[in-house]
Amino acid sequence: MNYFEVFGLPRRLGIDVAELQRQFYELSRRYHPDFHAGAPPDEQASALDASARLNAAYRTLRDPVARIEYLVRLEEGRETKEGAAVKAQAPPELLEEMFEIQEALAEAKAGGLDEGTRATLRAQRERLRERLREADAKLAGPLSAAWDAADDSGRPKLRELLKQGLATRAYLKTVIEDLGQALGEEEGTGEHVAHHRH
Amino acid sequence: MAYSEKVVDHYNNPRNVGSFSKETAHVGTGLVGAPECGDVMKLQIKVNPGTGLIEDAKFKTFGCGSAIASSSLATEWLKGKTIEDAAKIKNTDIVNELKLPPVKIHCSVLAEDAIKAALADYRTKHGARAEAAVK
Repeated sequence: MNYFEVFGLPRRLGIDVAELQRQFYELSRRYHPDFHAGAPPDEQASALDASARLNAAYRTLRDPVARIEYLVRLEEGRETKEGAAVKAQAPPELLEEMFEIQEALAEAKAGGLDEGTRATLRAQRERLRERLREADAKLAGPLSAAWDAADDSGRPKLRELLKQGLATRAYLKTVIEDLGQALGEEEGTGEHVAHHRH
Repeated sequence: MAYSEKVVDHYNNPRNVGSFSKETAHVGTGLVGAPECGDVMKLQIKVNPGTGLIEDAKFKTFGCGSAIASSSLATEWLKGKTIEDAAKIKNTDIVNELKLPPVKIHCSVLAEDAIKAALADYRTKHGARAEAAVK
């Protein structure tokens, strides 16, 4: 049972989040261990499984970007973020730009960060955050709507666009985090896309 | 996660870090990225037009230790190879050499992609001319 099916929803990106939350609470009560305390062990166990799946499904579907990542994975029939048959390619200019920012950041770090440099890096980070917000808005707004409106012939193209959007936001997010780290002002950990370097 | 000794070695003493100046002739450049983690990797080859061998290679990678080690190793392997042999380097060779765990295999894929991109860039810039010279 996939996350959409958990809520009895069609596989669409447009989701009424208030309605999703209402259903989440209702289903949570239904699967809550307290209601199955007197039930046979196998029934208790399956209620526990259902409850865990419900939580995971809700966390994923309530967030528009996590929802898109999940849908793309479902469409490609894979469980994890990695192993995509067709790798999403961010626009080459973006890659070039991210590389240049990283290179400049490495040089700034090597030179020691004086107040002037720190102010420059902060301003740069603010601009990148704005672009990340724009990228997310585009994913959650027009691209999600276009996916839902598309028929089977239009979907491969849109899936590519969604993946490009996800790739773009991943690069922006990484460089924003790296800037924050250099400034000693780490980003709060986002809930949906955790891609920390090991 | 524990890194293998070889990864740690390449991470602490990366080989061939840097880049060729834009004016350097006979250079092929590959710039690739991993959308899953936001890593970016630039790998360059410098080919000796007389022998057709890769005489130097450089890289700059902004990413995790495995990505740095993979590209560092790749530049070592590239030196002295022909373009054709360089194209035969596979990510699995890098995985075996560095003993990368499954979650880090994508770093070696990135390095292979970077090699391919650098070779393709070199061919685009110089291939036609080189072939014309042979004929």
